Amino acid sequence: MNPGMELASAPLGTPLTLVGIDDPAHRRRLATLGLREGAAFRCLTRTIGGGRIVLVGGSRIALSRDLVQQLRAQAA
Amino acid sequence: MTDSTRVRLSLAPTVIPPMSAKACCHTVADQTAGTTEPVVALVGAPNTGKSTLFNGLTGSRVTMGNWPGTTVEVSRGVWRTTLESPTCHCEDCSCADAESPLAITLLDLPGAYSLDAHSPDEQLTRGLLQDGTADERPDLCVVTVDASRLAHGLYLVSQIRELPLRVVVAVTMSDVAAQRGVSVDTVLLSQALGCPVVATDPRRRTGLAALATAVRTTLTDPAPAPRSVPASDDTLVIDDDRFTWLSAAAAQATVVPGHDRLTLSDKVDRWVTAPVAGPLIFLAVMWAVFQVTTTVAAPLQDALDRFFSGPVSHAVVSLLTLAHLNGSWVEGLLVNGLVAGVGMLLTFVPLMALMFVLLALLEDSGYLARAAVVTDRLMRTMGLPGRAFLPLVVGFGCNVPAISATRILPDARQRLLTVLLVPFTSCSARLTVFVMLGSVFFGANAGTAVFGMYVSSVALVVLVGLLLRRTLWRTMGAEPLIIDLPAYHVPTLRLTAAVVWQRLRGFLKTASGIIVITVCAVWVLQAIPTTGGEGFGHVPVENSVYGVVARSISPAFAPAGFDQWQTASALIVGFVAKEAVISSWAQTYATEQPQPGQAGLLGDHIQAAFQQSSGGHPLPAVLAFMVFLLAYTPCVATLAAQRREVGLRWTLFGVGMQLVTAWLLAVAVFQVGRLFW
Repeated sequence: MNPGMELASAPLGTPLTLVGIDDPAHRRRLATLGLREGAAFRCLTRTIGGGRIVLVGGSRIALSRDLVQQLRAQAA
Repeated sequence: MTDSTRVRLSLAPTVIPPMSAKACCHTVADQTAGTTEPVVALVGAPNTGKSTLFNGLTGSRVTMGNWPGTTVEVSRGVWRTTLESPTCHCEDCSCADAESPLAITLLDLPGAYSLDAHSPDEQLTRGLLQDGTADERPDLCVVTVDASRLAHGLYLVSQIRELPLRVVVAVTMSDVAAQRGVSVDTVLLSQALGCPVVATDPRRRTGLAALATAVRTTLTDPAPAPRSVPASDDTLVIDDDRFTWLSAAAAQATVVPGHDRLTLSDKVDRWVTAPVAGPLIFLAVMWAVFQVTTTVAAPLQDALDRFFSGPVSHAVVSLLTLAHLNGSWVEGLLVNGLVAGVGMLLTFVPLMALMFVLLALLEDSGYLARAAVVTDRLMRTMGLPGRAFLPLVVGFGCNVPAISATRILPDARQRLLTVLLVPFTSCSARLTVFVMLGSVFFGANAGTAVFGMYVSSVALVVLVGLLLRRTLWRTMGAEPLIIDLPAYHVPTLRLTAAVVWQRLRGFLKTASGIIVITVCAVWVLQAIPTTGGEGFGHVPVENSVYGVVARSISPAFAPAGFDQWQTASALIVGFVAKEAVISSWAQTYATEQPQPGQAGLLGDHIQAAFQQSSGGHPLPAVLAFMVFLLAYTPCVATLAAQRREVGLRWTLFGVGMQLVTAWLLAVAVFQVGRLFW
């Protein structure tokens, strides 16, 4: 288990730093979109089904709930 | 489908052999610059304006839009370049070669975030750029990178720079970047990346000449030395190196505001992806689309219908009378075959055009990507990722490109499941039949009846998906949704018009190809007598070869209330293409009573047929027929696409599954419906 809070409990709009991704299977895919450990990002919107739209490096990436549950973040 | 020449690569679902960019460009001569001309590959992440750039450079038409993965197949065109300014400064210049126009073969590779081969699209790009020998690779690679999110696009650049390839980076979307307070210095970026960088705006066609000059200049140089990476087997170590390199390049070349600004897109997204508002907006958008295609299109269709059944038919008969061919089988073939069939089909051009305009607007505006977020949960109940929504949505336009679009799914089993589900999406060819039957049987409620068919189509996709998941794919896990949301755009007229014209042309090609052959084949079968004493072309349809075949099949539809042989025969040609269903009806009824102007009475004929076959319950019978039409094989072109993606065995499985589903549902609809109507 990675340190930091679950992304699901992070408030919207707050600058965050990604500190961990629980399932390594998604690590590379997320990394190519800019979501890698140490990346600065923000949650913009809570979407239907418990997902989030995150803003990272100018990109808006929609993530489903099960991915959101795997991301750990801390306030930047 | 696009009419531009496409490199049809027969891809195995999982293993892609090394392939040659040059060999595949030179296999078809018509759109190829020539065997000695340079080959340039256009690569980049989805939504970076790559296909728009391709279109702007070649003038040929490809599928474009804001939707990730639209460009599933490789398109190709000839890019006629001239140099912006001479590269040499000789007083008495003899460098004619360098300054004269040069034709370049341009390949539009599928959108890819990386060369990691997560999906067949990325495998294809990897196969062309990385796995081939030096001779097989393109001479140069143009990578499109979105200025508003530079770091995001540079990962692919970092991987390509590790290959012995000439690279030119085309920075797009500078206008979107400027709105967000981001600016990119192309000179600094060029120094950091070690390759030329050109700012272009494919949507407004600026920077294209500068790109041509950069490409021409780079082509004369040897391929640069590949960027060195740490000697390690650990992909994480190599990735770390790439991210360090690209982050440094992005930081050096861009001016960004202190924090990412929230845009109007973000505010809109708050509504369109929200738990309650999102699905409501989605349903409202879909409902509006179908209202436009029914109520707006109808008067245009009626006018064209009158034109073909009146003046055109009369003109053909008059010409044949002059040639003393009136009353002969030639008149039958031309008037009842070609004019009745193809003419009827052409009356649907306005409807198709409207449908394509709406789809193009949805794609180009960026809304379709949000629709995938809204429907993700629904897709996951079927064990499909949100991305599977793309092929399924495209399926509502045409099943054939939708099947090709399943390549964006990374998991082979999910791909197979999606390929089997796509034919249940109600394509626009089926819409033409629904609209016609809706207006004949339901009058003012036609729009609602047609909308009901679309709801049924979605229900069929969900239910069959669930059924297959519970039986054949019990162990399949669902990939979580990761979707890159493009900024909303106001669609440009030129881009929308190009997409609409390309799709419409595809539709008309189908009309003039498969459909004309089918209609003529049906006429010929109808002309061959099975009883003695009747000549070729002068036999009642009931006594023809065709009539005998249709009659032998029709009893199977008795439990569904539509066992008229004309209805069965329409379903037989509908197997070839749904566009042919109405023309088949027009043809069989016109052939029965060959009087001018019969096509206008087609609705009456069909109403009478359903009235009779259903034993006085025409409405449940026509609904059962519409459900059957919705669920069984869409067309032979879809089968061809399925075979290409999942092989013959699964294609045949799909055909069987659809026929069984269609028949069972039709019977259920009629048997239950006739208790009430």
